Amino acid sequence: MKWERWLFVGALMAGALLRLPQLDLRPMHTDEAVHAIKFGTLLETGTYRYDKHEYHGPTLNYLTLLPAWLASERSLTQVTETTLRIVPVVFGLCLILLFLLVADLGLQSIVCAAVLTACSPALVFYSRYYIQEMLLVCFAFGLIVMGYRLATSGRILWSMLAGVCAGLMCATKETWLISCGMMGMAFLGVLFLRRREGGLKVAVSVRNLSTAILCAIVVSVLFYSSFFTHWQGVLDAVLSYETYFTRAGENTRHGHPWYYFLQILTFTKGDHGPVWTEAMIVLFGFVGIWSAFKEQAGPQEHGRDLRLFLGLYALLMLLVVSVIPYKTPWLVLGALQPLALVAGFGVTAFLTWLPRHLRRAGIIAVTLMAGHLAWQAYRANFSYYDDPVNPYVYSHPTDDVRLVAVAVKEIAQNSPEGATVQVICPGDDYWPLPWYLRTLPNVGWWNGVGEDFVPTGVILVSPEVEPVLLPGLYEKPSPGQRHLYVPLFSRPMFLRPGKEIRGYITLELRDKSQKERTE
Amino acid sequence: MRPLHSGILWVLIVCVSLLTSCQKSEQQQAQQKPEQPQPATPAKEMAQPTPEQAAAQPEKAAPPATEPAKPSDEQLIPLDIQLPKPMFVGTPSNIAVPNLEKPLGRPRPPFLVPAGTKNIAFKKPVTGSDEQPIIGELLMVTDGDKEAAEGSFVELGPLLQYVTIDLKGRHTIYCIAVWHYHKQPSVYHDVIVQVADDKDCIANVQTVFNNDIDNTSGRGVGRNMSYVETSEGKLIDAKGVQGRYVRLYSRGNTTNDLNHYIEVEVYGKAVQ
Repeated sequence: MKWERWLFVGALMAGALLRLPQLDLRPMHTDEAVHAIKFGTLLETGTYRYDKHEYHGPTLNYLTLLPAWLASERSLTQVTETTLRIVPVVFGLCLILLFLLVADLGLQSIVCAAVLTACSPALVFYSRYYIQEMLLVCFAFGLIVMGYRLATSGRILWSMLAGVCAGLMCATKETWLISCGMMGMAFLGVLFLRRREGGLKVAVSVRNLSTAILCAIVVSVLFYSSFFTHWQGVLDAVLSYETYFTRAGENTRHGHPWYYFLQILTFTKGDHGPVWTEAMIVLFGFVGIWSAFKEQAGPQEHGRDLRLFLGLYALLMLLVVSVIPYKTPWLVLGALQPLALVAGFGVTAFLTWLPRHLRRAGIIAVTLMAGHLAWQAYRANFSYYDDPVNPYVYSHPTDDVRLVAVAVKEIAQNSPEGATVQVICPGDDYWPLPWYLRTLPNVGWWNGVGEDFVPTGVILVSPEVEPVLLPGLYEKPSPGQRHLYVPLFSRPMFLRPGKEIRGYITLELRDKSQKERTE
Repeated sequence: MRPLHSGILWVLIVCVSLLTSCQKSEQQQAQQKPEQPQPATPAKEMAQPTPEQAAAQPEKAAPPATEPAKPSDEQLIPLDIQLPKPMFVGTPSNIAVPNLEKPLGRPRPPFLVPAGTKNIAFKKPVTGSDEQPIIGELLMVTDGDKEAAEGSFVELGPLLQYVTIDLKGRHTIYCIAVWHYHKQPSVYHDVIVQVADDKDCIANVQTVFNNDIDNTSGRGVGRNMSYVETSEGKLIDAKGVQGRYVRLYSRGNTTNDLNHYIEVEVYGKAVQ
């Protein structure tokens, strides 16, 4: 059995190697930048206010305090991408470590599941993404694992830990209800399918259940009330479900057809670059589900029930995320993680079904497929990290945002009295620039040119605002107070594909900056 | 000595009068400036941001004064501009489309048409594959309202949908301008524009635009590029084709799988 342990350690190391390096390589996504700025407020002022309309729960923000304190960062300007993204990385690796607590499912299956989880391009990509999804997936799996340990042992410790995981899920993202709902349905499904075998043998008492529920409520209230300083947050957390249920059914933004997730998991080919596929996980996932349904009663009843539960849960999650019209690619993780786990069972079932003389060839084929997954994960994160041909790159900023930030900062640094920067984009669609310009003290953010518009030295603007901006620059100011504006960039710049940003600078400021630079 | 004194006196008088006249002319210039069209030059330059122009124009254009006016009897203080903090937003919509046209980065150049050409689609009847749109009415396609606001666009259902404009007679069509929806950057899939002689688009069908590169809509493989919607709309060169009906297809967009039309303009002349 020794080789399985070494393989598990290898999977963990592969997971770390794919997740940890160059966390600052990919430009910050709008969502990441928004969370980063919100975290900056928490870091600098110690306050967090839950918003029931957007941006999800507080765990991501509060948990980021740990790496920030460890790195001695005390203000937003000191915070780096690595500080932020290390949080989902840790939870991405915890997903693998949690397998150790369900090793009695079968060590070979668990090792296979660990390899698939470590190398899945989507799980790796979003482990390096400063959003709540990886945390939610990890807490959801934690709840399953702790629930399993509780069911098999009946110990109060596991009920407390299960409650903590449920509370953390609730405090992470409002869609926790979907995961918990599907867990409940899967549990009912297992009860139904085992009804002729005398039902389930679980060691859960009322005391266990009430302890778990109490822990879940305490943890959840702790976070939503900003550690008992803002009780409105708890009420807002309850009211938020109206917003999210309405949005889930809407088709106005991020509305995609039902097969969207299946498509990005099985086959995606852009106009350039490689074919992307995690078909191995989907294929073996379905084999695993099938084998869980077909498994005959044996000595390890609990393991068999858990396999059936996980198979049903993976299936239901895939179904529900496909049916909901609102789809962003990271939402697939809720289904992909249990699918990768049951794919581990699928691999062992497949190898068992193979005739003995073909088994070695089967192992080689599976190893090659896992290697292909790892290769894709590497390319997704280190070559095609912001390229739209990568199916996990979604409305992602291009490297232009960094160039825009460098140009503006250079002007500010080379101006004797600094420079005031105005950013004007309708719909406040200037993100992630607030992250990249966070070190500049004089930056203002507008969504239009108002009556009180006063032009400053540097203006970043969406092209559609220009017709309104021109009178503000050349007609409204009094004679003698007008400045000639010249382009700041030598080529069109894009915040993300399709979203251009233009820069203008007063001739006077440009000349001063150039003079300062040459001196 | 007398001529010298008088000479100095004359020089002083001339200097004082010159100084006074200079001050007057500066004040007059400052008063006249708002009526002069000079600010248009820098405005034009800003609208066409190329580095060459940026380098060349400042000398050519009569630039506005770079120093603010300094009335001698008023104390100058730094202008206090309130700088708003960034507003948080949700996840923006995704644009990942193959064969995507690069935006020009400047206003579209003028399109030349024969004299007398006008929008022949204005207020003309419109039919479509979705006769009961989700939002709005089909008549909004030709009502002349090109705003992206609520009440200005029609929203058709998912998958392949079309609208057909009856021009009420055969026309020579030079260009077609289409606004799907431009409130947020998005790309509409399988945009196909056809001109035909009958309302079912069977007789004398001429395709003037087609970016369905993989023929998923079954109207033939398109050679045109996909494009990002802007307030300028998409201008399609119809190359003088003749027909009575103009049909426009689309198959959802990058934001959702629905189809929208703010306005369609067809520029042409009636066939004599």
